[in-house]
Amino acid sequence: MSQILRPPRRWQRYLWSALLVGATTLLSAPIHRFVSPVNLVMLYLAAVVIAAIYLGRGPAALSAVAGVLAFDFFFIQPRLSLTVANAEYLLTFAGLLIVGLVISTLAARSREQADAARRREVQATALYELSRDLASASESDEILRIIVRHVGGTFGREAAILLPDGDTLQLRAASPGLALPEDESAVAAMAFQSGQPAGRGTATMADAAVRFMPLKTARGVLGVLGVKPVDPGVYLSQEQRRLLEVFASQSALAVERAELAEQARRAQLARAAEELQAALLNSVSHDLRTPLVSITGTLSSLEEDGACGDNPVQRSLITMAREEAERLNVLVGNLLDMTRIEAGALRTIQEPCDVQEVINAALDRLAGRLVGREVAIDAEELLAPMDFVLMVQVLVNLVDNAVKYSPPGSPIAVTARRVGDDMEMAVLDRGSGVPPEDLERIFDKFYRVHRSAGAGGTGLGLAICKGIVEAQRGRIWAENRPGGGTVVTIALPYESPASTTQGSERP
Amino acid sequence: MTEGGPRVLVVDDEPAIRRFLHASLTAHGYTVFEAIDGRDGLAAATGRRPDLVILDLGLPDIDGIEMTRRLRERMSAPIIIVTVQGQEAAKIAAFDAGADDYVTKPFGMGELLARMRASLRRAASPAAEPVFIAGSLTVDLGQRRVTVGGHEVQLTPTEYDLLRALVAQAGKVLTHRQLLRQVWGEGYEGEMHLLRVNMSNLRHKLEPGASRPALILTEPGVGYRLRVEGG
Repeated sequence: MSQILRPPRRWQRYLWSALLVGATTLLSAPIHRFVSPVNLVMLYLAAVVIAAIYLGRGPAALSAVAGVLAFDFFFIQPRLSLTVANAEYLLTFAGLLIVGLVISTLAARSREQADAARRREVQATALYELSRDLASASESDEILRIIVRHVGGTFGREAAILLPDGDTLQLRAASPGLALPEDESAVAAMAFQSGQPAGRGTATMADAAVRFMPLKTARGVLGVLGVKPVDPGVYLSQEQRRLLEVFASQSALAVERAELAEQARRAQLARAAEELQAALLNSVSHDLRTPLVSITGTLSSLEEDGACGDNPVQRSLITMAREEAERLNVLVGNLLDMTRIEAGALRTIQEPCDVQEVINAALDRLAGRLVGREVAIDAEELLAPMDFVLMVQVLVNLVDNAVKYSPPGSPIAVTARRVGDDMEMAVLDRGSGVPPEDLERIFDKFYRVHRSAGAGGTGLGLAICKGIVEAQRGRIWAENRPGGGTVVTIALPYESPASTTQGSERP
Repeated sequence: MTEGGPRVLVVDDEPAIRRFLHASLTAHGYTVFEAIDGRDGLAAATGRRPDLVILDLGLPDIDGIEMTRRLRERMSAPIIIVTVQGQEAAKIAAFDAGADDYVTKPFGMGELLARMRASLRRAASPAAEPVFIAGSLTVDLGQRRVTVGGHEVQLTPTEYDLLRALVAQAGKVLTHRQLLRQVWGEGYEGEMHLLRVNMSNLRHKLEPGASRPALILTEPGVGYRLRVEGG
């Protein structure tokens, strides 16, 4: 295939043409005595036709001129001289020359057309074979190998494909034995960035050893295709360059298809993994909680039915057992939540929420824990985007912590206000505060300030809060309050409610 | 105890849960039937004609939502669903499918009994009273008049419709979707901010100055319910 696309060298063809004339002369030598010299002209014409058909226009013209000269020199009196005794031979020469040139032109043109048709066919075949092989491949690396093989075979060149990996182009496939010099990568990067061919034989960095073609599709430049001639002296013809461009765009489409398929496959895998994880978590959650349901239910039933009669010891034991079971339930819940957050399986639904409502829902849930506590709410009327359920959980954890780590009866406050582009919520207590060096670490998993051994906890509550807040693009931090106590603040991005508070009445 | 108590069907695949529910509910005067899975539950719903169903949403054979829907096709008795925390989506779907109330695992018997009593009471007097009274709130549905502590409260038409929807099903959880559809109409089910804004305004008007409004209860992630005495 490469032989057809690469025509023989020019000087070879002229040599062949000269040899052809020589052969004709040798053939004519033994018979010129028996035939009229004019008839020998036919043999020379035949040589011109052969040269025109097989060697092209230039060699054919050469054979016409050389034929006239040889005919004159060897066969016209006086022989072995270019002088002509009989002037009528001049007419023969002119006829031979003109007919030779015309024939050479006509024959060469038809040869060129035939060649062009054949080249087109070869190109079409090459393209077809490339497309066919690309279509049958689905895996990215396989597609790259096919491209390299076809480009190499069709153009007689070593080929390489570079695809972006982060900020740099990485060599992903190459013909065997091809080594890309370090400085060629700058040329490749140029082609990749500009989306135009660069390197050898192009307008930019033409002194490079490799020609780089961008692999372009409607989505943009996907990578570059590098071609390097095996023989540095051989350049591609105009036609071959066009074919190479077609190859590049076919390859680009195939690479794009592979990338999209890869993305789809990865998304599907991620979805499957996520589903499995969710199923697993649900199953663990179910298995851990089911016994707790029976235990809590049974104990609460005993407690409320007064099954222990007037025995206060038994009654307090049952109450304690029930509270412990509930604590265990919180622990299980926290562990599952933490797992979910760490696995990135936490899904948030951010929609406009009434901040006061979020606070009230959290305090409602903690009603039992807040007996004898004064909780001051100082919240602006805000409709801020957040996940209602998860933010309730965050506040429950924070207020619960505030209760846990501050003296009984001391006040707790919950505030919410708009600060710049953020909605800030804070839970404040009058406890003993947090040692300054621990202020950041209290949000770490299992981290607990060693101050109150009695205050039970898993060390997960604040880590969960952090996970939930960060999943909503927010921040959470703790500070010590002037005058004693801790304040934990949550900042969530607040988008202007202008578009959402409108139309609160029916249209 | 007495065989004449309300008939309760417990559908749960966990034997331990069925056993303690059976014991506790029987002790409280209910007649209890047990079903171990969805199919069994559907059969019992028609065969036993329960006054109330306690349904675990996580049954092995039939999806909880589907189960609620099929139960609803067979009977009108209240359905109390049992869920675990974090199942808000399933809870909402169950309410849309016809559930009346829910308890979250693990639950105390006191809470479950209160929910059961409220549901049974609602089922017994389905006709909406022309005048609804809860604490200091009076809603006269005939005259579209709302008073709090004897003083008339001016509500916008939307706020009034919202209140009326809650009053019509007082004590029952109404999901966000249900409220949006009832008050704003089809196609507004996703317009959460409409509901939040109007609910906030309504609460401020019904309980002015209260930092913790307690008349309309928020069911996080699910919806709202109007508090009723003893419920």
